[in-house]
Amino acid sequence: MATVISRRRTTILAGALLALAVVGCASTGRQAEAPTDYMSRLSTLEDGKVRVSVAALSAEEGNAAYGVDLADKGIQPVWVEVDNHQDRAYWLLPAGLDPNYFPASEAAEAFAPDASKGSDELAQRFQSLAFQNPAPPGKTSGFILVHRDEGVKIVHIDLVATGDARSFSFLVLVPGFRADYAVNDVFRREVYPSSDVVDYTDSDAFRKALETLPCCVSNEKGSKTGDPLNLVIVGGLDDAFPALVRRGWRPTEATWSGSVLKMMTSALKHDRYPYAPVSNLYVYGRRQDLALQKARDNVHQRNHLRLWLTPMRYEGKQVWVGQISRDIGTRLTIHSKTLTTHKIDPDVDEARRALLEDVAYSQSLASFGFVKGIGETPATSPRGNLTNDPWYTDGQRVVLVFDEHPSALTDIKVLPWEEIRGHVTGPVAEGESP
Amino acid sequence: MKQASTCLQVPPVARPSSTAVAPRRAWKGLPPLALAAILMLVCGCATTWQPGADTSADALRARAVTASAQDVRVSAAVLSADDSRRMLGADIPATGVQPVWIEVQNGSRRALWLLRAGVDPDYFSPLEVAWSLHAKLAGDRNAKIDDWFRAQEFTNPILPGETRSGVVFTNPQPKTRVLNVDLVASGLLIPFSLFLPVPGSEADDIIAKLSGLYTEAQVTDYQDAGALREVLERLPCCASDARGAPSGEPLNLVVVGELSDLGAAVSRRGFRRNTMQLDDAQRLYGRRPDIVLRKYAQGGAPPTWVRAWLAPLRFQGRPVFVAQVGRPRGGRFVADDDAAQKLHPDVDEARSLIIEDMLYSGGFAQLGFVEGVGATPASAARVTAQGASWYTDGLRAVAFMATRPLGLSDVEILDWAPYLQRRESDAAARIKATEH
Repeated sequence: MATVISRRRTTILAGALLALAVVGCASTGRQAEAPTDYMSRLSTLEDGKVRVSVAALSAEEGNAAYGVDLADKGIQPVWVEVDNHQDRAYWLLPAGLDPNYFPASEAAEAFAPDASKGSDELAQRFQSLAFQNPAPPGKTSGFILVHRDEGVKIVHIDLVATGDARSFSFLVLVPGFRADYAVNDVFRREVYPSSDVVDYTDSDAFRKALETLPCCVSNEKGSKTGDPLNLVIVGGLDDAFPALVRRGWRPTEATWSGSVLKMMTSALKHDRYPYAPVSNLYVYGRRQDLALQKARDNVHQRNHLRLWLTPMRYEGKQVWVGQISRDIGTRLTIHSKTLTTHKIDPDVDEARRALLEDVAYSQSLASFGFVKGIGETPATSPRGNLTNDPWYTDGQRVVLVFDEHPSALTDIKVLPWEEIRGHVTGPVAEGESP
Repeated sequence: MKQASTCLQVPPVARPSSTAVAPRRAWKGLPPLALAAILMLVCGCATTWQPGADTSADALRARAVTASAQDVRVSAAVLSADDSRRMLGADIPATGVQPVWIEVQNGSRRALWLLRAGVDPDYFSPLEVAWSLHAKLAGDRNAKIDDWFRAQEFTNPILPGETRSGVVFTNPQPKTRVLNVDLVASGLLIPFSLFLPVPGSEADDIIAKLSGLYTEAQVTDYQDAGALREVLERLPCCASDARGAPSGEPLNLVVVGELSDLGAAVSRRGFRRNTMQLDDAQRLYGRRPDIVLRKYAQGGAPPTWVRAWLAPLRFQGRPVFVAQVGRPRGGRFVADDDAAQKLHPDVDEARSLIIEDMLYSGGFAQLGFVEGVGATPASAARVTAQGASWYTDGLRAVAFMATRPLGLSDVEILDWAPYLQRRESDAAARIKATEH
């Protein structure tokens, strides 16, 4: 079942259709998956005369295709086909799918460390299965090996020729795993009736609407508030999520016991464990629509963000409200059902700034600004989240507006909204020049 | 202080070792509660933080490296262990975090924003570093540590006419820190690259070293791209060994641009300077590599290396570096020590890795390919003096660096050696074989 969608489309519809296509195929269950089923659930996008199809392989499919246990090494193959009807060759940038992707030869070495010679059978098999650059006129296909995602994968393809860059972004489900998305409807159907959706085209009106969003997340019953909603993302599958993926942000696994156990052990041994679970938080009476995280060196350093789709649009683009915090260590807590949770950096503005500066390098940030809405909370009288971690803030949320056309640092515009003056709530730095 | 640092939870220097990727978990079978108990023990150690005695930045300002552009002046210095104790109250460099003091004097009429992700994509937040010094059941004291670190942080924005200074907590670079500072305003970027000596390590003035390599008379400045291409094609295929025999690794990359442009582009993608003993075996122009970079981002990054030599060439006044790009056999799946690092035979793959990194960092204005290494099929691989075999399509990539980062669609791919076209015929053959 392949879905072909024109590049010029409405984001919402495409997101829903694409996810429907994927989910429809993915719901057959883990045991029923045949090793080559991925070919029947290709997702396809077209831009001009270039058509790109992708599928993310499940652990079983990947292992069957390569004949070795790729999943055990944390490696996942993504099938990519470029059908190029232009007159030029394109260079596909695998680092756009995963900045830390595995070249074929390196992945082969994971299974045969001595497989250094080109004549080696295993290395040759990996090479022959790999997507080989460039993509000349005609069809080019093969696998790109990336870090394994469980549940859902954002597959982003950047094709570059001289003076010409084309981007294709997909949200695909990986069969056989539970994930935050898998139990959530946000990509499967319209969350809001069309009568509730307001599309803002006036910047001031949009700013005012953002200021009236709830200050914070709550627990499931809505009886207690937690972390501040300090983030607004404008964009969707075509621009915002690819930008996050280019910078190493990846979806999370749902919080379930196996994952918690894995994190418990990970917390003790400084491993890089990208699937540490997130606890559920609530806005609009529902848990996060998506949760993304960026593992750094190990589970102690894992920035995470949660997003909820709002009934707003800005110039036709989806608007998400979210919460971002920086984990600075795992600790045990009695306040979370999953016992192990993360110590967050109480200066939540720091995580907000870090995200802004990170995505500035994503080539997709068009503009950013700040709006009020949380309420200033000085360090001297911090508030607490649902697991009693303290937090304080200057009360503002960052608004990140993304665009699918690649843009350089010099193209980023600053929205003339709230002024940010650094540590408005914190102590004055000693020894700092006036 | 050394004792204290063993208790800290700040991780060691990020290394491209096998621990980053699906590590073997020998302790997998331990019950969670036992693991939790160990965790408690690990965290329970006391710390030796004392309030910093003197937070004045005068000493740093005095030895800072400074650059100015567009009415903006940037000064920076790496904190020594003593600076760190004096200002931060603990020897933070000993914990695997390199604090860098940065001062920006904004003489422009725009508010500027310093992008710390450009300084180090994996920088640490001040409270993250402070948290590592916390003690159990010492809330007030811990809060004091937090306040202290927060007060030392570099904060944005830098308003017009303002001078702002503070510390950014980064992953360490030995000897010389290549500091990339991207200051942005709406529709504006002012980039700086500074080379900061790292206190406590041997003197390593890379700028002085490079500027002393050749006399003006020894350097040829080419104005014409065609002439440059011809010269680059005639460069030796490979480095030589210490005795001068051309049995080193291939010279598969040429960089045209200032060292600062290269430094900025690679810093944005997590490359850091790091010379290992094995690099000494590679010689060009009768000397060891002038600069060696290794990728150290996020623990799970491909451990690519770049060894570069300044050539006695210029192109339209800009320096030309000749370089080797490679990655070790075993990649992220083997230990990160000298003995284990041997060139992986597919050197073209490593060349692609760095090109892709540079494209995303906005580092290239133009990219071309020239002959000169000599096509070497895998079936007739060449072997280095160190016993590493390698094969290649025979091309070296030529990168013309951009001072200002560019978008993906702004890069011009030069019509030199027909890299894409040559690959097209390979691809066609491959497709045919697959269909067959």
